[in-house]
Amino acid sequence: MTPVFRNIFVVARRDFLAIVATPTFLLFLLAPLFMIGMGALGGFGASQLADSARGAGRIVAIADPADIEPLRAADARLRDALPGDKPPTLELRVADADVDPVAVAQEKGADTYAVMSGPLAAPRIVEREAGSRSGAYLSLLATDVLRDRAAGAVAPAAPRFESLKKGGTSIAAQQGLGFGAVFIIFLLTLLLAGQSVGMLAEEKGNKVIEILAAAVPLESVFLGKLLGLLGVAILFIAFWSAMAVGGGLVAMTQLDPGAMAAAGAASAKAQAASAALGVAPATGWPFFVLIVLAYFIMSFLLLGAIFLGVGAQAGTVREIQMLSLPITILQVAMFSLCSGAANAPGSSVATIAQIIPFSSPMAMAARAATDDAKAVHLLALGWQAIWVALVIYLSVRLFRSGVLSGRSNWKFWKRGAKAAVAAAAAAEVAAHR
Amino acid sequence: MTEYCVEARGLTKYFEAFKAVDHVSLLVPTGSIYGVLGPNGAGKTTSLRMTLGIIDPDEGTSRLFGGFKPQNVRHRIGYLPEERGLYPGMKAREAIAFMGALRGLDWGEGRRRAGDFMAELGLDRVIDEKIRKMSKGMAQMVQLIGSIVHAPDLIVLDEPFSGLDPVNQERLETLVRRERERGATILFSTHVMAHAERLCDRIAIIARSARRFEGTVDAARALLPMQVRYTPRDAAGDVAAMLPPGAERRGADWHFAIEGDAVEPLLARITASGHGVAGLSISRPGLHDAFVHIVRQVDADFAADAAVDALEESAA
Repeated sequence: MTPVFRNIFVVARRDFLAIVATPTFLLFLLAPLFMIGMGALGGFGASQLADSARGAGRIVAIADPADIEPLRAADARLRDALPGDKPPTLELRVADADVDPVAVAQEKGADTYAVMSGPLAAPRIVEREAGSRSGAYLSLLATDVLRDRAAGAVAPAAPRFESLKKGGTSIAAQQGLGFGAVFIIFLLTLLLAGQSVGMLAEEKGNKVIEILAAAVPLESVFLGKLLGLLGVAILFIAFWSAMAVGGGLVAMTQLDPGAMAAAGAASAKAQAASAALGVAPATGWPFFVLIVLAYFIMSFLLLGAIFLGVGAQAGTVREIQMLSLPITILQVAMFSLCSGAANAPGSSVATIAQIIPFSSPMAMAARAATDDAKAVHLLALGWQAIWVALVIYLSVRLFRSGVLSGRSNWKFWKRGAKAAVAAAAAAEVAAHR
Repeated sequence: MTEYCVEARGLTKYFEAFKAVDHVSLLVPTGSIYGVLGPNGAGKTTSLRMTLGIIDPDEGTSRLFGGFKPQNVRHRIGYLPEERGLYPGMKAREAIAFMGALRGLDWGEGRRRAGDFMAELGLDRVIDEKIRKMSKGMAQMVQLIGSIVHAPDLIVLDEPFSGLDPVNQERLETLVRRERERGATILFSTHVMAHAERLCDRIAIIARSARRFEGTVDAARALLPMQVRYTPRDAAGDVAAMLPPGAERRGADWHFAIEGDAVEPLLARITASGHGVAGLSISRPGLHDAFVHIVRQVDADFAADAAVDALEESAA
């Protein structure tokens, strides 16, 4: 290990252990439980409201007026005869030249599982999921009406199935994924990186900073502290990811005991998860997950470096708190920009968000959801890394010239003027003598 | 081996309008114990910080071990800052190993050496205690061990004796001598002259931001004349006539100062005078006296300069 990395590792190790090996870390780690609890309560209430507003899911049959009543009667007969879960409520609509079954399937305010249109002998069935039970039920309804009308043997209906997934709507879903990535990175960075604002306060308070400054380059101290805190953040994320995966597996075994046997098949699970989500990012799930993690790290380092640098200038806890607010506002502004970028991939807003270093990680994560180009992410990560280094470098310069030289005043912009005044005064005194 | 372990030349530092250090040079011979002495606020700590590259000088340079920038040889330096600092939640053994690891020492080796040092200093009973549970003196000794645990070639100690009880001061002196015997160069600051007098091969005296003296302890003491206390056996007659001007009588004794080369002529005069000798003591003044003399002289010069400035200003 080179001396630079060794120094960074020593500082990071100390900080990581100092945070993790304390009872308060347990509180920190479990804090999301409160958030989840409150979220679940709110979500349950919202769900109740939504369900009451929109009713249960539905299937829709768009038919000629003459077919409406026969379909209703067939539904009444078959619904009771079918074993297991009943099909969603059937909604019947009279066929109209303007009615687009895909648009009906995407109508807001209701969960539409399948829409049947066209002649009953060869209907077009648009499904939310390919091979769904709802699509098969609509096909069965058409066949039953034809059989009833023919009063004898009749060939079953020959439907033409379409899946919404293949109908060109996945872009919207991918944008949703992109926004999700933006939101997750923003939330985690907001929760975890902000802690770095007070990290050097400990060293300044207990005077360790001079020992560190004498022993290793300050850049190593700053980066080591950031990486130590990043380690805590990764531990936090890993813990909750493991909890989520574990919870998911437990839930699956409750629904289907056979799922336990399949629990070890990771690739099958990934496919199942992908199918369950109904959409895949443009770059594919494995790459997307990894690149979002990489962008989270870069976002954490970028904002953490700013927090650390500004916090290092502060002399009191009150100053630290005061200085945190503008940075948080910066974070929220970057989130707003990136939300816009996620909803408008390829737009100039998206390009700007991808270039601005402090929004770049979030905007590029959103891009990974909608654009399958992968090489550009290497470029973006490099660009962001340069800015991490730049922010740390500037923070260290300010710290060295200010705090470490005994000037606790964080108004660094005044130092240059004061130094000039001092030099002029000294020159005047020398000339006078 | 290079002649000078530390070559700091012309170090100058402004803190806003205040010139904290004014062209201070420190040349510390390799393998020596070198003291930087000065009153409070003289600029000792700032000089040491610039020497080690912790803060940048406005003027001047500092080179260590024959021409290296301090930043490039950090692992060969051990430093005890004036403002003591340890992580209060760390155990002593871990704190020492951590400080060693910062200078490149393996953590395991650092822990092992921590045990050895703590045992040697009689602190092994608290080696697994957290720093916050220790007394100030104990914590200071832990920090000192942390400064030398990686066996540095240069040990810089800023006011190492302050806050220590006499027993620990004695232990620290022993430790400093032993480190010098190991081959290390020791540079320390203090305003307690007794330690410097016992330990230092050379000293620099800093007062009013500038270096006012550099040399051996004996050379500093030689700045002042010898102090004589003479008690004549027969005080009848004019004793003062054979003594130097300024001789002062206190009871039966006469007190006066003479230069080193005036001792033998004085003895000759006393013998020839017939007053006899009931008691005679001729001694060099201590470093304490030399230090006070130098600092007072600097203060007097400053006061004179200020008076001249005031006069010129009022005249203008």
